[in-house]
Amino acid sequence: MPSSLSCCLDGLSGAVLVHKAGAPQSAPEWMSAPVSSPSPEDRQRIDAQLLQRVAQRDRHALAELYDRFSGPLYGAALQIVRDPTEAQDVVHDTFVSLWEKAATFETTRGSAFAWAVTLTRNRAIDRVRMRRRRAELLEAAAPGDFGYDESGPGNSGDAAARGEEARAVRAAVAGLPAEQRRALELAFFGGLTQEEIARQLAAPLGTVKARIRRGLLKLRDTLAPRS
Amino acid sequence: MIDERQQERASLYALELLEGAEHAQFETDLAQDRELQSLVGVLRNASAALAHCANPARPPAGLKDRILASIDEAAEVAAEANPVIRPPLSSFRQFIPWAAAACFALIATWFGLRAMTARSETDALRNLNRLGEITLQSSRQQLEAERIVTQHLRNESAREFAAATANLEQARALLGAREQQLAEVRTQLANRDQLVTEREQLLAAARREVRARESEVTALVNRVDALTGASADVGRQLGGANLRIAQLTNALKTQGDLAEFKITTLASLLKNSPQALAVAVWDPAKQEGVLKIEKLPALAADQDYQLWIVDPQYPNPVDGGVFTVEPASGAARFQFKSKQPVAAVNAFAVTLERKGGVPKAEGPFVLLGK
Repeated sequence: MPSSLSCCLDGLSGAVLVHKAGAPQSAPEWMSAPVSSPSPEDRQRIDAQLLQRVAQRDRHALAELYDRFSGPLYGAALQIVRDPTEAQDVVHDTFVSLWEKAATFETTRGSAFAWAVTLTRNRAIDRVRMRRRRAELLEAAAPGDFGYDESGPGNSGDAAARGEEARAVRAAVAGLPAEQRRALELAFFGGLTQEEIARQLAAPLGTVKARIRRGLLKLRDTLAPRS
Repeated sequence: MIDERQQERASLYALELLEGAEHAQFETDLAQDRELQSLVGVLRNASAALAHCANPARPPAGLKDRILASIDEAAEVAAEANPVIRPPLSSFRQFIPWAAAACFALIATWFGLRAMTARSETDALRNLNRLGEITLQSSRQQLEAERIVTQHLRNESAREFAAATANLEQARALLGAREQQLAEVRTQLANRDQLVTEREQLLAAARREVRARESEVTALVNRVDALTGASADVGRQLGGANLRIAQLTNALKTQGDLAEFKITTLASLLKNSPQALAVAVWDPAKQEGVLKIEKLPALAADQDYQLWIVDPQYPNPVDGGVFTVEPASGAARFQFKSKQPVAAVNAFAVTLERKGGVPKAEGPFVLLGK
């Protein structure tokens, strides 16, 4: 079964999607047809500005952040909790937290999107851990269970809805060695500890740490803005 | 320059995989290192980008409205806590209502401040709650890690215990076999001890027999020596007697009468005195003779030796007379005459008789010669 991150191997051709600043009442970005392709720095800057407006109690800014973030956040939450209702609750709680804590956001600690992903992932993993026993989670976290469903909605008619950033990320992940991709996959979606990842991969703990380090650094280099 | 170890910890931190003391140590380092903060920031962005790799899924249409409704509801609750301050009236007549309004405003302001305080406290409590959740999550992770480690150690201990038990069983089986071998060896040793004891007893008996044989041999050697000595004496005596006989024979021949003499050597018939010896010389013309005796046993006080002359014309030997011997040497020189006329002499005999002699031989024969 192909892994979740293997989805990055699918085709990168097609329409280029973009983040759009402003237009609070516009349709979600991942559903819209893009007309331009802002750089990653521009997207991060726009996200940060929107978050500043949210800190000033601008609900339109929150709505726009929802349009920009909800797709990947919901997908990640669903990937982790494996339940649509719980995934919705996770995303709901994430945006309420963004609304309440936007003033505490610091750009030096990462992008607004990274912060939102962290909030989503923590809530999703907490729910899974509360719902299941650890052993059941480990069983459910078998690498095969993270397979990307090629027949899913995003593979056929929704290719245009995934967005350019998602395509770029998937391409970058697809360029990673398989063992690094697997380690990152278990760490991100599995909510496993270092030792649990090592056991899942039947590899020494030091090797797993090195794979995560190399994979993440390579991902960083690949996704870094090109000057 | 950030080394590989810090890069590794930053990567794990960005994925929230650091725990416990390692997490706390890294946050301390992070607070003091701007370069490390920058690295963590970009690694967080890179890790967050992994969210794009989830299976594409559309959030339900109503979710956005539900979120906005939630924050609107929160805003309304906050707005209800904020009083609406109306602009003041300008006429003096309206002073009283303004005063009342001012009082109301002051009260509202006071309530507003209380509400803000309460909100701040609520935020603080939320933060504390969040901190507690984080602490609880961290504790759960630590407990889970400890549980896994404990389970691992338990499994290891169980395996080691099983291995030790198997080794113990093997050792016990080996010990049992060795004990059985030891018992067999002990039995063999006991049998050998018994055999050794029997051999020692046989050896002691053999030694006793050897000593007895040695004693017998010694006695036999002594006896042989004695017999050898006695034989040598007898030989010497015979040599002396023969020499004497030869001298006497020569003397008789010189006298011209030797052809008429009857010379007889008498041998001992005594078992206790085998060396006793006598020589008799008979002169038929004179009907007399001489008997030379040596080494006859000494006589008791009531006994005498008696000489007999055997003449075929008489049914009984003719009495030749009695004599004694020197007690120390058993020697004697006895000149005798027959009690009856003797025509021919076949033999001379000496018997042991009572003192004074007897007319007819009664005692045992001591010497005999033909």
